[in-house]
Amino acid sequence: MADKGKREQKIAIEAVIVAAITVAGVALQVLTGGFNREILAFPANLILVTAIPVLLILFKGAAKHLASGSLSVILISVVTIIALYMGLVPGNSAKSSWPFVLIYLALLINLTASVLMRLRTFKIRKDISFMLNHIGLLILLFSAGPGSADKARYFMRVFEGKVEWRAEKSGSKESAEAVELPVAISLEDFEMDEYPPKLAIIERNTGIALPEKRPIYFEAILNAASTIERWNLVIDSVLYKPGFAPAAFVRVTDKYSDVPTEGWVSCGNYFQHFKTLSLDSTYCVAMTFPEPKEYRSKVEVYTQSGKVKNGVVRVNHPMTIGGWKIYQHSYDSARGRDSVWSLFELVYDPWIIPAYIGMIMMIFGAITLFWKGGKS
Amino acid sequence: MWDNFIWFSAASMLLWILGVASLYMNKKSSLTGNILISAGLVIFLIFILLLWGDLKHPPLRTMGETRLWYSFFITLVGFVTWLRWRYKWLAGYSVLVSGVFIMVNLLKPEIHFTNLMPALQSIWFVPHVTVYILSYAMFGAATIASFIAIRELKNKSERLMPLIDNLIYIGLGFLMTGMLLGAIWAKEAWGDYWTWDPKEVWAFITAAVYVVYIHARAQKYPLRIILWILPLAFIMLMITWLGVNYLPAAQGSIHVY
Ligand code: HEM
Repeated sequence: MADKGKREQKIAIEAVIVAAITVAGVALQVLTGGFNREILAFPANLILVTAIPVLLILFKGAAKHLASGSLSVILISVVTIIALYMGLVPGNSAKSSWPFVLIYLALLINLTASVLMRLRTFKIRKDISFMLNHIGLLILLFSAGPGSADKARYFMRVFEGKVEWRAEKSGSKESAEAVELPVAISLEDFEMDEYPPKLAIIERNTGIALPEKRPIYFEAILNAASTIERWNLVIDSVLYKPGFAPAAFVRVTDKYSDVPTEGWVSCGNYFQHFKTLSLDSTYCVAMTFPEPKEYRSKVEVYTQSGKVKNGVVRVNHPMTIGGWKIYQHSYDSARGRDSVWSLFELVYDPWIIPAYIGMIMMIFGAITLFWKGGKS
Repeated sequence: MWDNFIWFSAASMLLWILGVASLYMNKKSSLTGNILISAGLVIFLIFILLLWGDLKHPPLRTMGETRLWYSFFITLVGFVTWLRWRYKWLAGYSVLVSGVFIMVNLLKPEIHFTNLMPALQSIWFVPHVTVYILSYAMFGAATIASFIAIRELKNKSERLMPLIDNLIYIGLGFLMTGMLLGAIWAKEAWGDYWTWDPKEVWAFITAAVYVVYIHARAQKYPLRIILWILPLAFIMLMITWLGVNYLPAAQGSIHVY
């Protein structure tokens, strides 16, 4: 039982050290008001990423202690507690706080040490699962943590037929100033596909659609028909041209009176007024705005180094050029498909390749967990 | 093509139900059950491929089309897990969940006109969500087993520990895959693979608590402490899945669809 006492003593020491690190973090937080990620910018992050394994290899004795599995349990638990704080307290900035950064660093050291110790007795069959999970995680944590200091995100608004080099930094609070980027975008065309607008019968004053409990909205497409309470609606014609507000010619027959009402209904747009069709003094037929289905920008992109690339940028399909990724962000929502500009988000992340390598290793690691199960 | 869905899905469902029933009834050989379930999968896949040919693009654009893949993959993964780990209940459970998605597709097809917002129109959407659902099934079962195991500790019985560890490893395998696929998707859609968005924070917490369990087990900590991690982790999982949108810290999350 002496062994057990020794182990408990070791865990206690580790817990005290981790607590001390956390307290130091809180003190630093109070003194400096937060961690400034920019101090990790290149080359500081690269030095850190190299120094941790090199020092651990040089100081084997220390590495053995730092590779402790019980220390891992304590550190992962503390990170979880900080994450709980992030998840529960509105508007906190825990992710850029000193306690979080210091614990993250401790975790990196502990993980690197564990991997190094395990590598010394590496056997492919026995250790492949451990290695995929932990080396993958290590690479990912290095890229996502210290590596993120080199990341930059900008918004660039480009008008159709124009070329733009300037962009505003995204995420910064002070009124963003436009800076010139090493990439330029020429917007040839902004296009949008929309879902067809929908028709409903609404109470004129409140806007509540009928039937009140389960309102019916039906698509305004040619020959579409619907019955809503005592009215039969048929769409005889639709008008759906660029630059014009969508409109539908609706014929409505009242089941009881058999007197048809007909006329144009439109949701309007930025220069045309909306139009409803009155059924009686309370109800009218109205059209909803069409919702975007897909939007995309036809662009030509240039870099300072002389690269040129043509293509289409749309949501979920960014364009990559020289370390930059260009995302379709938004458009002039007041004009919808007639927007004459497109807003792009440009992201520069030189650590994205290692991050992907780490993630892919971890996916394979996860498959080994699935396959191996709890038999270690 | 969609008009034929009812026939294909009914045939698949029938084969799957017969298959699972056969697994339970026929203790000696699972061959018949396996053949029946595989046949159901093939028929379902044929429908997807025919629809694909018909539409001339992969059926991934509308909610109804997405649910087709869920129905298929949930049964497929449940079946593979059964082949590997011999959990009959999981094969049955996955058929049940698949049946729910099929019913939704029959009753509320949303085939032509669902307004799937552009960010969700991604090939990552289906695997990301499907894999998550499977991990939830594993963890749900492990949580139930953990309560029984806690009671059995009084009799010094550790009978359920191999099962629990197995479910946690498999569940974490799925959970990590779901999370990583989500990260890769986020990079394609929003420009960053991890932004500590509230849903991401809670997904992280959930995974981290299960990771603590695995490491605490490897350290051979006493079971009377370790076993309590599992109900705790499951609460975190429930918050991630259902509760995040109600938390004050989550206003403005990208995940609030
Ligand atoms: C910063 C995070 C992590 C650290 C520092 C860490 C550290 C360790 C250490 C030291 C071990 C040796 C086993 C022992 O405790 O004696 C271990 C085992 C293990 N770790 Fe991690 N780990 C981390 C994250 C993860 C993650 C994210 C996963 C899963 C996705 C994972 C899965 C495993 C597995 C499966 C084992 C083998 C346990 C066994 O022997 O059954 N670890 N880890």
